[in-house]
Amino acid sequence: MKARGAVSAALAAAGILLAGWQAGAQVAESRSSVAATSAAGSGSSGSSGTGGSSATGSSASGSSGSGTSGAGSSGAAASGSAGAAATAATYDGAVVPTRFGSVQVRITVAAGAITDVTALQLTDDDRKSVQISNRAAPLLRGEVLAAQSAKVKTISGATVTSGAYLTSLQAAIDAANL
Amino acid sequence: MSTQLRPATPAQNHSGQSGRRTTPGRISRAGRFDGQHRRRRLRADALTVIAWASVAAAVALWLADGGATVINSAASAFTALGIVAGLAGMDLVLLMLLLAARIPFIDRTIGHDRALEFHRMLGKPSLYLLLAHGLLIAVGYGLAEGLDPISESVALWVLVPDMWLAYISMALFIAVVVTSLVAVRRRFPYEFWYAVHLLTYAAVGTSLPHQFSVGGLFAEGTWQRWYWLAICAATGAALLYFRIVRPVAATFRHRLTVSRVSMVAPGVVNIEMAGLQLDRLAGNGGRFFIWRFLAPGLWWHPHPFSLSAEPLAPGSKGEPALRITVRNLGRGSAQLARLRPGTKVAVEGPYGLFSTAARTREKVVMIGAGIGITPLRALLETTPFAPGDATVLLRGHSKQELYLGTEILELCQKRGARLFHLTGARAPWDDHNWLPDDAVRNGYSIASYAPDIADSDVYICGPATWAGNVISDALMAGADAEQIHHERFDW
Repeated sequence: MKARGAVSAALAAAGILLAGWQAGAQVAESRSSVAATSAAGSGSSGSSGTGGSSATGSSASGSSGSGTSGAGSSGAAASGSAGAAATAATYDGAVVPTRFGSVQVRITVAAGAITDVTALQLTDDDRKSVQISNRAAPLLRGEVLAAQSAKVKTISGATVTSGAYLTSLQAAIDAANL
Repeated sequence: MSTQLRPATPAQNHSGQSGRRTTPGRISRAGRFDGQHRRRRLRADALTVIAWASVAAAVALWLADGGATVINSAASAFTALGIVAGLAGMDLVLLMLLLAARIPFIDRTIGHDRALEFHRMLGKPSLYLLLAHGLLIAVGYGLAEGLDPISESVALWVLVPDMWLAYISMALFIAVVVTSLVAVRRRFPYEFWYAVHLLTYAAVGTSLPHQFSVGGLFAEGTWQRWYWLAICAATGAALLYFRIVRPVAATFRHRLTVSRVSMVAPGVVNIEMAGLQLDRLAGNGGRFFIWRFLAPGLWWHPHPFSLSAEPLAPGSKGEPALRITVRNLGRGSAQLARLRPGTKVAVEGPYGLFSTAARTREKVVMIGAGIGITPLRALLETTPFAPGDATVLLRGHSKQELYLGTEILELCQKRGARLFHLTGARAPWDDHNWLPDDAVRNGYSIASYAPDIADSDVYICGPATWAGNVISDALMAGADAEQIHHERFDW
């Protein structure tokens, strides 16, 4: 009768694991489609990119996202997507790896001033990191635009993301020779 | 009929027993305990399923979050393994807490000491899983960031909120498991070991914040978060209810006070207690309670003792009373002999399976040694058996060590049980025997005293090594492991 307990326990455990696996496969699918829509959305609106656009972007999502926002990414040439000043240029910062995913930002410079900061990649290894990134990125962007430098205070509760964001930003600023 | 002090001679078989009602084995198979036995096995199987399913569920939480689908590098593989180890480790810790929570369902199914045995068995695996969790995560995160695991650990401590608590928790877990290992337990006094054990609650408590704030699995808004919160809260509630609320309620309900302390034999005392609603404690013959005598210097020391008589036996003044019989085994027990009448008593219980609830067969054999005889007395008083179906074996060095011997003799006469007194020293050369020297030399074994042992429930209570010898003898004589009911009382 010990066998009965052992067998039913094994069956129950196997069933639960299988169900978990199935659910996981579905989550992964829906997640890539969510990433596609969010990447497309962020690209068209031109605001700071939400997480998920780059890491899962191997599918159609990544290309569509970069396709819309990447119009002016070539460098010194004037880009018309923002429609602002005539001599706007974009500079990409370094890719900074963290334990929660990599971070890379792009700045738009016009007339010697940072006019926009876009996150190309944000910490997105898991849902919690995505959540943190989505909260921290707009705040950091606001601070950076106000201070015109990478020397701003980090966002509490997003220490790792903030650090990587500002490191990448500093690299972009250096590249722009501001 | 009765009592006889001579066993059947070794050569003799069953037919030589006088006064034994010959019940065919088939009838006893379809007996009154079959239903209870079947239900108990069903509950045991259910517990096995629940335990394994909970571990599987912990891993499934991670799988359902798509955890396995994002493994695409060495770093993510390390991190993933670390997460799984953490989930399984925490699940085992919760199972350990539940096993120690004295939940009646578990107690009625596998008994208190088996529950604690499983609790001990899980100690090391859960610690290893938690250690693996910490190491694998440090390596995985470190690889992702290009840091060595040690700098990564420092960075986690400094940078990530709630992680410093997790480090403290890890240290506490290590301390608890190391001090719980038997070798260490022997070297420290019991009270020290117990106090360290209470640190488990601190260890679990400090580990909780990072589980919910750092990992992505239990982020706000996920059903996984609710599941994890639910099992943690349920475990906490079970501990609070069964280990604090119920004992306190029982103490206030019964309002026990010591009414009489009397000497039974040198170093052995009967403690009688009066109180309210004692009939609610009836029918638990052989199960143990945890007593705290609320006197200066004694109140913090819990004493596990069985009742040595049914609660409604008349006490000193002819009113209902509880009675326990205590031998001064340890420092705490020695003080009990000086208890003054009127001392208030806190009570928890009853616990354990040393009772009718464990019965599987019609026939019963009770074997007790020394102070282990006393729970048998209460069991003998109430457990159902037809006259002739019970055998009682009392073991001691001398006649004086057969505590409550006269009471047991009277009960055996009244209920029709065979009684054997087995006195004398053990054979000095034989570590594997439990019988007196002369019985061994005459060729007696357990079957000489209880020829039906293969079809009986066998209740054994006595010192650990002695009991171990009785158990192996009973198994050799054809009894099944599920027929053997053994109560440890030396812990």
